[in-house]
Amino acid sequence: MDRLRSLKIHDDTLNRTRFCGALLVILIVLLFLSGIFMAFYYSPVPGAAYDSVDFALFNVPFGGIVKGVHHYAWNLLLIVLGIHLFRAFIVGAYKAPRQMVWISGVLVMLFVPLFIITGDLLPWDQKGYWSTQVRLSIISSIPLVGDLLVRLLQGGSLTGVVALTRFYILHILLLPGLLIFLIVVHFHFIDHYGITEPLTHGTDQRVKTSFFPNILNRWLFLFLIVSVILGLIGWYWTAPLGDPADPTDSFYVPRPEWWVLFLNQLVTIFKGNYMIVGSMIIPGGLIGLLFALPVIDRSPGRHPIGRWKLMLAAAVITVAMIGLSIMGYVDHFVGAAY
Amino acid sequence: MRTKLFISFSLCVALLIGGLQFTTGEATGVSKETLTALRTKSVPAGLDDPIWEKAKRLIVPFEGKERFAGKKASVTTKAVYTDDSIHFLFKWKDPTLSVTKGAWKYDGSKWSHQKSNEDRIALLFEINRINNYATKGCAIVCHVPQGASSAKDGKFGTSTAAEMGDLWHWKAARSDPAGFADDTWLTKISEKKGGRKSDKGKGGDQKNMTDDKSKPKFMLAPGKTFAKHGILLASHAVEITNYSDFKAGDVLTYRMPKTPSGSRGDIKAVSRYADGGWTVMLYRKLDTGNEDDTAFNPRKKYNFTMALFDDSGDEDSYDSEVITLSFKR
Repeated sequence: MDRLRSLKIHDDTLNRTRFCGALLVILIVLLFLSGIFMAFYYSPVPGAAYDSVDFALFNVPFGGIVKGVHHYAWNLLLIVLGIHLFRAFIVGAYKAPRQMVWISGVLVMLFVPLFIITGDLLPWDQKGYWSTQVRLSIISSIPLVGDLLVRLLQGGSLTGVVALTRFYILHILLLPGLLIFLIVVHFHFIDHYGITEPLTHGTDQRVKTSFFPNILNRWLFLFLIVSVILGLIGWYWTAPLGDPADPTDSFYVPRPEWWVLFLNQLVTIFKGNYMIVGSMIIPGGLIGLLFALPVIDRSPGRHPIGRWKLMLAAAVITVAMIGLSIMGYVDHFVGAAY
Repeated sequence: MRTKLFISFSLCVALLIGGLQFTTGEATGVSKETLTALRTKSVPAGLDDPIWEKAKRLIVPFEGKERFAGKKASVTTKAVYTDDSIHFLFKWKDPTLSVTKGAWKYDGSKWSHQKSNEDRIALLFEINRINNYATKGCAIVCHVPQGASSAKDGKFGTSTAAEMGDLWHWKAARSDPAGFADDTWLTKISEKKGGRKSDKGKGGDQKNMTDDKSKPKFMLAPGKTFAKHGILLASHAVEITNYSDFKAGDVLTYRMPKTPSGSRGDIKAVSRYADGGWTVMLYRKLDTGNEDDTAFNPRKKYNFTMALFDDSGDEDSYDSEVITLSFKR
């Protein structure tokens, strides 16, 4: 306790203008807590899985709120992750000596979609089942390892009880374990190299404050606010649960999630033999760019104006992603025959 | 600082609302029709209550089966709900009023059954999930399963006892004159028997015939009146003591509707036949508390199918695709 009391960290680690990192931790904690609650009622067997989720959602006291918190928290997590990454890019947080902070952060970011992909199948509803089928078909298009990966995930030729069990284990055991490990690594590098200084003033002007109780109180206050807001949203807008999965219903075409609209549009543009360009090469290239950023931009200056070429390239990529997402939205949500 | 805070807050709110637009939207991907029940403070007083104008209508297409194969029909459907009840309104064209259901007719020397049947509409909800009902609908429960020994007995039912359906069955001759729809439920089909069961309680109809089945046994009791369309209710009937009072052309109800009680009497009905069509309102508690009924939770969505019978028996019907019932909150 004394060690905690004596621990001093920068005041701007968590304040009114800089809270995305803390918010991400809060959302992950909320996802873990709500996930544990839901696991008490979940049965990972096709058919029974749907009924157990339906029961937890509509019959268990506060079940709808907990499921709502879980559902809306991951959506918010993606948004906050995006903002966190955007801010880190703008202030040049990837630059020396914090290259590993950036790289471990990108790894954490890449992990989140894996939770969504594995979690989507668990309710065993139409959307989850058929979205998984689409994702497995995209994975199978990866040269050399695609089929092997699909076999590993599915555990057979069909998405059935084995696939559901594997997705469940991945979702509640392996992925959370790995995520915690990556977050610990991320924090280790932050602890070692410190958080990025604001662009406006240098290290010498930054105020330090005690972690306990000042920063912890701020974190708990934010935790409370976010929990209440997500709880209210979950209470008012019940988390969606579609019709039970029917593997024989080949007419069902799942709508892509908002966060993959641009990827989905890429797959739509590059068809047939070129499918791999949209499904692997371009997304893989973007991920590669994120990892390579500390190597690509080694200039000492952090101010965006001094890095205008990089800013321009990032703006072009962002505009392209937004444009593709809008196209995807129009294709799948505006007047589409779903 | 304040400007920064304001911009950050506005951005967060905009992103949150924008995100909600995507995430709370319909997750379904098939072209399934949704009937949205409108929330109201008071229950509709009748078929012409102005509240029905506010409820969004859904025109449900039907396809004919067996005798009606190749024919189409449609029913304009609306729904409203209050804190404790749900009301459906159905309108459909039917040039012929059919409420006879084998009524007796006297020709001056003997009694015989009239040929025509009755008009009906039926709705089937899930009490417990019926496997693939959400996507296949009527095909899962309403048709003869392979290997059923008798088409008539095996016609209607589920595959397992855990799968249960709630069948609302409005009959123009046998239930409507008493002011109800027959409340029944669906369970596992067996080789010898269908899965259709009556809800707990009393109800249905009573056959009006003598032991030798040659003539009616009951007539209208003194001081009582016939129900709508000249139907004799079981509760208004008295045993016939003198058959010589009847003259040629007299008609007497064969299937006398009983006033239902218990769970069987949960669904009340109001109807009107006018201008070549039916308007029918069915209503009951959202949650009757009975195990043989679907407990409606306005937070949830429900799948249901409908069947229309035009002066026909169970075999000849118009069936709808699966419809989603959602509740506007």
